[in-house]
Amino acid sequence: MRRMIIAALALIGVFVALYLTLYKMGVIGHLACGLGGCERVNTSKWAIFAGAPVAAWGVAFYTTTFVVALIGTSPSWIDRREIAYVLAGMSFVGVAFTAWLTYLELFVIEAICKYCVTSAVIVTAIFIVSIADVAMGSRVQSGE
Amino acid sequence: MANNNPPRNAKSAAAKPSSNRGAFYGILVAIVIVGIAAILYLKASPPSADSGASAQAAYAALQRDYAKAGPPRPYVMGDSTAPVVIEEFADFECPVCGSYATVTEPDVRRMIIDTHLAYYKYYDFPLPMHHNTQSASNAAACAADQGKFWEMHDQLFAGQDAWGLNPDGATQVTDNPKSVFMGYAKAIGLNTSDFEQCYDSKKEQARVNANAAEGFRRNVNQTPTFFINGKMFAGSIPYDVMKKAVDDAAAAKKSAPAAAPATTPAGTSAVNPAAKPAAPK
Repeated sequence: MRRMIIAALALIGVFVALYLTLYKMGVIGHLACGLGGCERVNTSKWAIFAGAPVAAWGVAFYTTTFVVALIGTSPSWIDRREIAYVLAGMSFVGVAFTAWLTYLELFVIEAICKYCVTSAVIVTAIFIVSIADVAMGSRVQSGE
Repeated sequence: MANNNPPRNAKSAAAKPSSNRGAFYGILVAIVIVGIAAILYLKASPPSADSGASAQAAYAALQRDYAKAGPPRPYVMGDSTAPVVIEEFADFECPVCGSYATVTEPDVRRMIIDTHLAYYKYYDFPLPMHHNTQSASNAAACAADQGKFWEMHDQLFAGQDAWGLNPDGATQVTDNPKSVFMGYAKAIGLNTSDFEQCYDSKKEQARVNANAAEGFRRNVNQTPTFFINGKMFAGSIPYDVMKKAVDDAAAAKKSAPAAAPATTPAGTSAVNPAAKPAAPK
């Protein structure tokens, strides 16, 4: 059940990040300089990480998380604890990266993009559920 | 203890697995459908700006700051009797405006303005996060004093790299762009001492403020923003989109030639550009 929740959250995250990627590429909306938070955040130098838009990294992250969680729900993998560890590790990296981006938004760019905030909420929720997956798995195992 | 727990695990693994799984896949499909629909909806009607409370408050503060400015005095180009009026609100330091000015606008001038399809008006809309844009608007207004606004406009946009934003999109190439602007003034044949006097005294600041105020009255919040016979297009638009909008506006005007031209109150967002007097260059 927990991995199903993670998969569903990750799939929502895919679409949020996909929207921001298409926006950054100019496919959705028209490019502009603006007073709005998303324009300022998405046109800043921090919107690019390692040569690719941060939003595109988000698409890759959520897609990978979705696939791993989905595999983790299959009958042959549902009891495999490695999945729980992988999801917890991935989402920890996601939360840490998001925390850095949120710091940049608040204190450096001084603008907030609501879609970035939505992504931050999703990745945090994934992290909490994945930690629960690890913890509950440990409890069940010790119970056995 | 060990004998009590396994049934719970066995139960959780075995109880209604297929119905749970069916519901799970149903939810995933629903997320995909909603996600695709949301993206298509946003593509069809993109949000023009962040609707966050802080952004709205900042915008309201700017609207108040500019509320005292006088009537706008845009810079104009083309045939003032043309059936369509294109109004552009732009920021000289905005890279997207620069891209429009250098890539799209030459086609607009050649195929829409020079052919008398539309009359063109440019309004300053200096965004507060661009630190040199007020100086650039000042330089353009001073060039307009000598009848060479568009020449300075072209120099400013083509030369953004020399005085505007660094590639990081956040910091400026220089804190003092005046020497760059003096170079432009010389290149386009202005009287440089008159230009410098105008630039230093900021005597055209009221014009820049009045043009920006017009943008705030019309709820412009990003650059470039265009109004084509009063219809707003926020963000940079490609030539084809602009041409179609001009053709549609001309056709609409042709089909309703008896519309009263002077009934729109001045200063409202329902602009009837044809009713406006031509502003001096």
